[in-house]
Amino acid sequence: MKFIVSSTYLLKQLQVLGGVINSSNTLPILDNFLFDIDHSKLTVSASDLETTMSSVLDIESDSEGSVAIPARLLLDTLKTFPEQPLTFVIEDNNTVEISSNHGKYALAYADGAEFPKAITLEDPSSTTISGDILATAISKTIFAAGNDDLRPVMSGVFFQFSTDNLTFVATDAHKLVKYTREDVSATQQAEFIMPKKPLTLLKGILAASDENVTIEYNDSNAKFTFENTVLVCRLIDGKYPNYEAVIPKENPNKLSIDRSQFLSSVKRVSIFSNKTTHQIRLKIAGAELNISAEDIDYSNKAEERLTCDYQGDDMQIGFNSRFLTEMLNNLNADEVQLEMSMPNRAGILTPVDGLDEGEHVTMLVMPVMLNS
Amino acid sequence: MQKNILHLDLDTFFVSCERLIDSRLQHRPLLVGGIGDRGVVAACSYETRAFGVHSGMSMKVARRLCPEAVVIKGNSGIYTKYSHLVTEIIKEKVPLFEKASVDEFYADLTGMDKFYGCYKYASELRQQIIKESGLPISFGLSANKIVSKVATGEAKPNNQLQIDSGFEKSFLAPLSIRKIPSVGEKTYQTLRNLGVDKVAVIQQMPVEMMISALGANGRTIWKRANGIDNPPIIPFYERKSISTERTFTKDTIDVVQLRTTIFAMAESLAYQLRRGEKLAGTISVKIRYSDFNTYSKQIKIPYSSADHIIIPKVLELFDKLYQRRLLIRLVGVKISDIVTGNYQINLFDDTEEMLSLYNAMDTIRGRYGELSVMRASSMGAKTIGRFQNPFGGEPPVLLAHRKH
Repeated sequence: MKFIVSSTYLLKQLQVLGGVINSSNTLPILDNFLFDIDHSKLTVSASDLETTMSSVLDIESDSEGSVAIPARLLLDTLKTFPEQPLTFVIEDNNTVEISSNHGKYALAYADGAEFPKAITLEDPSSTTISGDILATAISKTIFAAGNDDLRPVMSGVFFQFSTDNLTFVATDAHKLVKYTREDVSATQQAEFIMPKKPLTLLKGILAASDENVTIEYNDSNAKFTFENTVLVCRLIDGKYPNYEAVIPKENPNKLSIDRSQFLSSVKRVSIFSNKTTHQIRLKIAGAELNISAEDIDYSNKAEERLTCDYQGDDMQIGFNSRFLTEMLNNLNADEVQLEMSMPNRAGILTPVDGLDEGEHVTMLVMPVMLNS
Repeated sequence: MQKNILHLDLDTFFVSCERLIDSRLQHRPLLVGGIGDRGVVAACSYETRAFGVHSGMSMKVARRLCPEAVVIKGNSGIYTKYSHLVTEIIKEKVPLFEKASVDEFYADLTGMDKFYGCYKYASELRQQIIKESGLPISFGLSANKIVSKVATGEAKPNNQLQIDSGFEKSFLAPLSIRKIPSVGEKTYQTLRNLGVDKVAVIQQMPVEMMISALGANGRTIWKRANGIDNPPIIPFYERKSISTERTFTKDTIDVVQLRTTIFAMAESLAYQLRRGEKLAGTISVKIRYSDFNTYSKQIKIPYSSADHIIIPKVLELFDKLYQRRLLIRLVGVKISDIVTGNYQINLFDDTEEMLSLYNAMDTIRGRYGELSVMRASSMGAKTIGRFQNPFGGEPPVLLAHRKH
């Protein structure tokens, strides 16, 4: 078996696929890329059992067969080559010989049949959306997803498709982001929870691409197809919490403020907050927002005052500054609105401007209990 | 620079407090501590010491040795109050001080000699404390904490002693090695087996020999014996953990009673956390069976101070820990990995009603005392609680026998 391929073209694809491979695997075969050669088509796959991604490449070859080649070794080698054609010769003595302009390299390979088969989706539903919309939806929500192994449903992003709109939700029980697109829709209603890892990969690949992505899904798996790439992943099993019920409906206290000003004040003040809990206090009275923090253990303390547009009763509310900075960073509006009702109920952060037509973002942040 | 460190120690502090409250106890043998058979002597008056009573001894034995003694249960709230009174006087008068325990203080008088003379100043301070609080107090004054502490021990009862600079070694030399702080029962035995009885012997030994006999601790003891160990004054104690434990009057296997006790302990500790605006990251539970085998188990939790997170975890730990079908002598709960902060509300688990209830309960406790409102599940347990804020920078109230 033998094929010829451009070094940089191969490297580009392999680097994307390499993101799937875990740094330590229980199954040694998963440290490999699966090369499936079918004449002038090469399908390269990588898998961690949960997620499998494959790309189709054009090569010069007239043979057929499949081998599993050590991923790390191959990537490290390819990285060093300037653009040139590489010849891969698969010998019968379980080695692949690569010939470049500089010399020859031999790697041990495993039989391609040992590589776990990708899941085929039975009876899937499907939707097509533009790649950059999907990438935006992922980057707007994924930071809010949790890491708690005890509550796996919250470690993913909830996809909620309907005939009117697409909604993406992520929460770790302390903060929540709901991102809705009304300009795209699905043919039928569907809900599923996507794990973080494949989403991170998709976000990286799809950013700034105008390629359409076809999403196929059933109860247990989802498949994303675009350009020459296919990503199949297992969904998180379980029921997503009823997030609509926890979004407070009546929020009489409304604060409007310049986002970047608010963000830099929170960042600065939080340097002086406790290093473990990062808690800051917002005091709002009239048209003035007072942000303060204190680290009693080291006698550090800071206070800043900002002018804002505020309607409602004077109030004091405590937040974890990490959550606020993450959320404010993730928005690209010039001005944001923070709606609140009580010091022990969620604050709702929404952008005032900077949204596309049909785009809605709602961010919820739970306060910390302040001793009155 | 030559330092002047003062060590002040209230004589038989708990006993003196009781005598202040009830003057009939003056000049009578008096024991303060647990009054049950399992109790230990927390403090004993000088009158009882002639009978061989000492603090840390079992109350049963102490009573047998000195049957005429009056036995009082003791009230940590009152002792804390008097301790505060004395602390306030010292705070007013000295530039830098450390409260080492309820009845012990260190003060750095370095530089004060220019104006008053350290010894004179210390004597006046002592007289002022005696006059304003009515409590007998002794002090030792020297160049470092260790020598001053030993000097106070030698000065007692109700007296004072200065060790002049340069005479530290000769002052310590004739004393028993037991007098060196940090030489406990075990180290004492080890040293006695080596034929060391007086501090003078250690002074003549090379430091390497002490290290080979006692490890790293040997160097500290050697330095202390030579009067050259100089630990700094610590003006503020940061609490790294809070804990509570109970020894039952009678060993028990009654799981309901055990769980109730544990529950009440967890509830009390969680309230201490919230009152001090703290969060905890580690919880541990300890049990001691009747055969004195002690087991403990701990888990890490996301930082929290909420009852509904801490209490179930504590009970879960207890259930995991209580495996042997044996009588239990003691149970305890400890909360550690403490950071400053307030409870982060959870979107899905915390309801507004529950948070308001917590707030209301804490407000009532703040105004009427910790035991004014509690969960029904805690009510079966005998009073478990403390009366001071553990995060005020003061050392915990420790019974005499647990000091080292």
